[in-house]
Order: sequence, then structure tokens, then C-alpha cells
Amino acid sequence: MKTILLKEMKLNFKNLLIWSLVVGGVGLGCILIYRSMQEEIAGIGDTFSNMGVFSDAFGMSTLSMATLAGYFAVEVGTVHGLGGGMFAAITAIAILSKEEEGHSGEFLLSLPISRKKVVAAKGICVLCMMAVFTIICGALYALGFASLGESLPAGEFMKFMFGQFLMNIEISAVCFAISSLSGKNRMGMGLGIALLFYVYDLIGRAVPDLKEYLFIGPYSYVNGSEIFSGKTAPAAAFVIAAIVTACSLLFAFWYYDKRDLAS
Amino acid sequence: MGNAIEIDHLTKSYGKNRGVIDVSLKVKEGDIFGFIGPNGAGKSTTIRSMLGFIKFREGSIKILGMDSVKDHEEILKNVGYMPSEAWFYDSMKVSDVIKYAADVRGIDCSQEAAKICEKLKVSTEKKIKELSLGNRKKVSIVCAMQHKPKLFIFDEPTGGLDPLMQKHFFELINEYVDKGATCLLSTHVLSEVNKYCKTAAIMREGRLTMLDSPKIDDDTFLKFYEDEEA
Repeated sequence: MKTILLKEMKLNFKNLLIWSLVVGGVGLGCILIYRSMQEEIAGIGDTFSNMGVFSDAFGMSTLSMATLAGYFAVEVGTVHGLGGGMFAAITAIAILSKEEEGHSGEFLLSLPISRKKVVAAKGICVLCMMAVFTIICGALYALGFASLGESLPAGEFMKFMFGQFLMNIEISAVCFAISSLSGKNRMGMGLGIALLFYVYDLIGRAVPDLKEYLFIGPYSYVNGSEIFSGKTAPAAAFVIAAIVTACSLLFAFWYYDKRDLAS
Repeated sequence: MGNAIEIDHLTKSYGKNRGVIDVSLKVKEGDIFGFIGPNGAGKSTTIRSMLGFIKFREGSIKILGMDSVKDHEEILKNVGYMPSEAWFYDSMKVSDVIKYAADVRGIDCSQEAAKICEKLKVSTEKKIKELSLGNRKKVSIVCAMQHKPKLFIFDEPTGGLDPLMQKHFFELINEYVDKGATCLLSTHVLSEVNKYCKTAAIMREGRLTMLDSPKIDDDTFLKFYEDEEA
């Protein structure tokens, strides 16, 4: 199992590096341009906060963008949330199905290892990739704060990054289950799922009737504005996330083990 | 001498499509067993059932005396399989693929792998994506043989190999069989069956028929295929 895990990590290393540096780099760039925009942001801060549902959707009514923490929560929160969700989706949705898509399944499964162990190794690989992605991005964001000579609100920042990590795990678990279904690469579907979850949260924050159902989506517990303004996500959001993740993983193990594999 | 393969009343269908019907087969240890039949007759379905790639509900399969479902991992430790399409991971180097297969098995096969690579003239430093079908097949042969398994299962192994490599391939098989291994050879090449196989069976429309002798002439051989078309 260790051999398969290491091979998967090696095969996915380039993707991991590209996504981490691009998402983390864009976030770092956003932080670094804060100074040059600080005065303008301060000037139009009230406008940003009073744009009705638009401000609600992006959390600008909760937190002032005139501070670096507020700016980070809104801007980098959006970049990292969306980028991380997409990375989690495309990584997990291909990791099982690629064996049949690339016709390497017969080679792999003719080796003395059970399908359950293959699923476990690939699942652990996705988990490790999400952890490394979060660490690299987090380090780049912290570097941004340090470069501007601003102190990092460590508690909120850690809570934000850990929440993002959990959200990535939830999305990747859903896509991992889909990957176990057939030998076709469904990258488009994976990206669609990540975007759907994101848009659900966006619309849910703007439409009053949907607000009480926000906890269903994985983005409900990683809203940067809420985290940086000290609000706590409802416990139901974490319970749903745990249930969705566990059910998705169990389904992947069960279904991949019982189905016929394409040649 | 015991049986290396025992298939008992295996039936497998894909929804409404026929796979194999009531297949029973015994291959003795030390045999080189020719498995012939037209495309889509059910040869690959039988092989894929033996290796656990597809699941069956009717019948049973024993490999090297072990149940193919319950003892799946243990069986694969002692089996060397070469699929008809030799695909690996494109970005990996040949030497890495060969080592990877050995590492998953948890054994050091470097000596045997080097011997086979030398015999088949395998370019170990190239990447898989740079290889032709024939060269990928050679890598597949190394992966199937390097751990010196008790049972070889080859699905159309010689397609893409040049005549000299085909000769070396069968020399290797004979070498391992002389040391006690068994070989199931699925093929469309009559000369291979005639020259190397000790017993043979033909598969047609999902059903298996044992042949009295693997020494068959061209006309009889082609008749198996013509009957299928008719």
C-alpha cells in the first residue's frame, strides 16, 4: 500500500505544486497589492458594506475591507475557497478512474494487492495532497502579511485555513466516490460540483429564504468574513460535512470493490 | 500432479450480453495450455474472472488450489499476468515500472528482471510513453516473469513482438515451465499452439470445448472461426 501511495504522490506532485503555487501565489499577490489599494478601499469601504445582497454574498457587510484582515478574509477567502475546491475536485475525481481510463488498471490490479488497499492508498494520497496544498498556500499568505509588516491574526488565520482544509476534504470525498463509479475521467463534473457548492453558498447568503439551509453546503463553515469577525459556523454544518465525507468514502470502498473493471 | 487451474461451471454475463456460459476447465501443473477462439468468444472474460477483475455469481474458480475470491491476494503473489494491451503509467521510466511491480509484491526481483531485460533487449531508461506496442509488451513480460510465479497467464502475448523476441519469449516460458511453472496462453496464432502447447481448448460463443490434441491443422483451426461467423 505504501508503494502505491508513494507512486501516486510522485505522479501527482507536479499538479500539486502548480495548484499550490498558483492559488497561493494569487492570494499572496492580492495581499501584496493591499497597500497600494488601501486608501481607495478605505474610501469606498462604506460603499462595499452597503451593497445589499452583493455585500452579504461576499461577506463585505460583516467585515470591513479597510483592514488587511478584512481584505484578506474577503479577497483571499474567495480565491482560496474557489481554487482549493476546484483542486480538490479534479484531484479526487480522477484518482481511481484514471487507471481504467489509461488502461493501467489491469497492470495495477494483477499485482497482489486488494482493491480496498488500492482505494485506501489513493484516498490517503488525496488527503496528503490537500494537506500539503493548504500548508503551502498558508505559508504564502503568512509571508504576505510579514512582507507588509502586519501582524497575522493567528487564531482566525489557523481556523480559516483548517476550515478550508476540511472543506477540501469534503469536496474531494464526494468526487472520490464518483471516481469509483466508472473508468471515465469526469473532470468536468468535478469542477461543476465545486462550482455548484460555491454558488450555492453565494446565493444562500444573498437570498434570505435560503440562509437557514446554508449549513448543507461545504462552503458554509469556511466563510472568511465570518471566521475573521469571530462568528462560529453552526455545528450542523460540521455534522453534515462529517456525514457526507464518511458516506462518500464508504461508498467508494464498497462500490470499487464489487464492480467489474474495464480492460 | 495437481491442477494449477480449476474452473467449475463458470457463468458470467454483462447485463443482457453473453460473457461465458457454464465453463469448466482444468489445467494441470506444468502444462502449457493453449486457449484459442475468435474475438469476443469469452477468453478474456474467463481470464479476467480468474484474476478478479470482473465478478461472477455462478460457478467457482480455484487457482493453485486456492479460491479465486477468498484468496485473491495470495493467488496474485503466485501469478504472472500479461494483458493483451500492455499499458502502464506514461510518465514513468521502464526501470521504475519494473521496480514498482516488484515493490508492490514486496520482493527484490532485480536479478531476474535484469536477466529478462537482457534477453528481451528492454530499454530500461526510456519512458513508457516513448515505447512502441512491442516494447511495451516486453516490459509487460518482465513484470509478469520477474517474480518467478507458479502460474503464467498470457493474453495474446506475442502481438507486436518481432520474430526473434517471440522466440526468446517462448524460450523463457519453457525455462520456467521446466522448473515447475504452469502457463495459460490465450492466442490466435496456430503455430504457437502447435509448437508450444501441451493441451488446448477452444472457446466459441461463451462455451468451452477441450481439444483432443493441440496439434491441429490450418483448416481445422480456421473452421473454428468460420463456424463462429456463420
